[in-house]
Amino acid sequence: MLLINRRDFFKKSAGILATLNTSLTFDSLLKTTKKGIVIISKEPILNKKGISLNDISNWLDNAIIKLTKKSNAYEAWRTLFTDQDFIGIKLNCLAGKRLSSSPFLVSAIVKSLKKANIDEKRVILWDRTTRELKRAGFSINLKSDGPRCFGTDMVGYELNPEIYGSIGSCFSKIVTRLATVLINVPVIKDHDIAGVSLGMKNFFGAIHNPNKYHDNVCNPYIPDLSASPHIKRKLRLIIMDGTSIQFHGGPAYNKKWNKSFGKILVSLDPVAIDMVGYQLIEAIRKKAGLPSLSEEHREPVYIKTAEEKGLGIANQAKIRRIIL
Amino acid sequence: MDFSRREFVKLFAFFPSILRSLTLSFKDDDSLKESMFYKKLPEKKIECQICPKKCRVSDLERGYCGNKENRGGKYYSLVYSKPCAMHVDPIEKKPLFHYLPGSRALSIATAGCNMECKFCQNWEISQFRPEQVRSSYLPPKKIVQLAKETKSLTIAYTYTEPVVFYTYMYDTAKMARAKGIGSVMISNGYINEEPMKKLCEILTGVKIDLKAFTENFYKKICSGELKPVLNTLKLLRSLNIWYEIVVLIIPTLNDSITEIKNMSSWIIDELGDMVPVHFTRFYPTYKIKNLPPTPVSTLEEIRNTALAKGLKFVYIGNVPGHEAENTYCPSCGKILIQRVGFMIIKNLIKEGKCPYCNKVIPGVWSNPL
Repeated sequence: MLLINRRDFFKKSAGILATLNTSLTFDSLLKTTKKGIVIISKEPILNKKGISLNDISNWLDNAIIKLTKKSNAYEAWRTLFTDQDFIGIKLNCLAGKRLSSSPFLVSAIVKSLKKANIDEKRVILWDRTTRELKRAGFSINLKSDGPRCFGTDMVGYELNPEIYGSIGSCFSKIVTRLATVLINVPVIKDHDIAGVSLGMKNFFGAIHNPNKYHDNVCNPYIPDLSASPHIKRKLRLIIMDGTSIQFHGGPAYNKKWNKSFGKILVSLDPVAIDMVGYQLIEAIRKKAGLPSLSEEHREPVYIKTAEEKGLGIANQAKIRRIIL
Repeated sequence: MDFSRREFVKLFAFFPSILRSLTLSFKDDDSLKESMFYKKLPEKKIECQICPKKCRVSDLERGYCGNKENRGGKYYSLVYSKPCAMHVDPIEKKPLFHYLPGSRALSIATAGCNMECKFCQNWEISQFRPEQVRSSYLPPKKIVQLAKETKSLTIAYTYTEPVVFYTYMYDTAKMARAKGIGSVMISNGYINEEPMKKLCEILTGVKIDLKAFTENFYKKICSGELKPVLNTLKLLRSLNIWYEIVVLIIPTLNDSITEIKNMSSWIIDELGDMVPVHFTRFYPTYKIKNLPPTPVSTLEEIRNTALAKGLKFVYIGNVPGHEAENTYCPSCGKILIQRVGFMIIKNLIKEGKCPYCNKVIPGVWSNPL
């Protein structure tokens, strides 16, 4: 029998109410804030010499203020997260240190959350496997101070597949049981099969069978996954790590086609930010004399499909890029 | 959302212990084996040539099967020597009814499959990646040794799809053959001609799952194709290796009498009327849970249709105790092998012939090695 005292009961009830309240606040934020806004750092701050964690964290604070239209960083972050949330930060660590979500940027995100009085112990840094996280430079942490950090291999997948459109998969227990909200921290890279691997594609790392969804340039599999309640209802924020752009030869790191970039992209709209990332890749490909992804028959049409499914804005004319 | 926040709070309160209890015995083992049958392409890409999917795989990516990975332009099997299932089964369980009846088969599988059948009975291993399932380290030599110790006349590569652990299967079968132990592949037949031919040099039997007789079914329900499977069946016939066919009958999806008639005609025309065909009963599982188990009457109607078309050995499977589990002489009609489930009650076949009318009964009735 589970024993619970009055103090615990009130504490937990308050937490539940606070979490529900955040969901409502976030939903109303999405309704009132125009979709399709993408904030892009003016400077290549991620690669700038002498840049500190504080600098990145402050820039992130300003970006979130812009997105949420709040007057200060505390209020802005607290529009998205409460101190009762468990925040799962989905990383992309497939390609090793040179082309993965950077521990530096992630530390800045955690710092900003801490400034908003969110306990870092309630943050889970995760990807498919612990080995990939280690290879990308993250330190595995199960129970000591600081954010938790481990792969799905440590907790496994749900035992039964869930079907959402074309997707039928067992989801990571990190998504289904541990995290109440998600921040997505993808990188910007070309992908041999999907065309590009940005934010929405990053959630292939949340299911057990991504290799089954490579047909037809991953369309409509990627949008269907993003439209699943586990992702759609929990995803609060996308912070795209533009330390470098792999504009060809992805998803692995390939020096020949990797360009230093150094910028951060932030959005509440998973579709708009992917469209902006895709256009960045295309622009560099053009300069490098490479054929467009469309000419290579791997245009990421899944971004447009995601718009059709109501997940965000893919129409470039409607996307507002804010340089910060 | 199914997620219960109360459950979550409870979970997180005991976070470290939950983590420990949920932890899989995941072996982060780096022992790799280069895969057979693939072509190197520019930019460190490869093209897998084992099955008709012909996956083009970039560096660090995996093919559709999920158990082979491109590492720096070389394609590696991640499941070599790593079976995730192993049992000693009666050969009837495969099912192979005309192959050493009553004998044992040491049966192994690794994670992965080159199709995704929505009715897969073994989806918990076939649809997962190697690192997501428990596995043992059992190299080919050890498998052969275990087959001897368990008095298994045969090693069966089964449960998932052996085509996707081809290299492991090939090496094991080759070693087993040298020790007088046969090998049977229990497969969907979705394999290219060259690897199948090479494999048939060392296999002693094959069972092919013919999922249906329409491309539409293969595409929508299995993420595969019918034509390559039919080509494999024709190849098996031409190579003179023993094979049997299984068709899982799923209500409303592949149980139309017209389809069964077309399938039976094709088998008779292309493979002959003596190939055993097993029509087996479906039970709801994996992604098809909204359909009932196949009615026995449907299976009986289908069997009668196939017999009427001219097939000589037509069985009903997954209905233990049904009279259509028995082998009947196509000439005099007498029972030659009586079965209940996977158990042999009596086997009257003598030197491959009916003891009543001397009719030759096709099959492998004594150890072929």
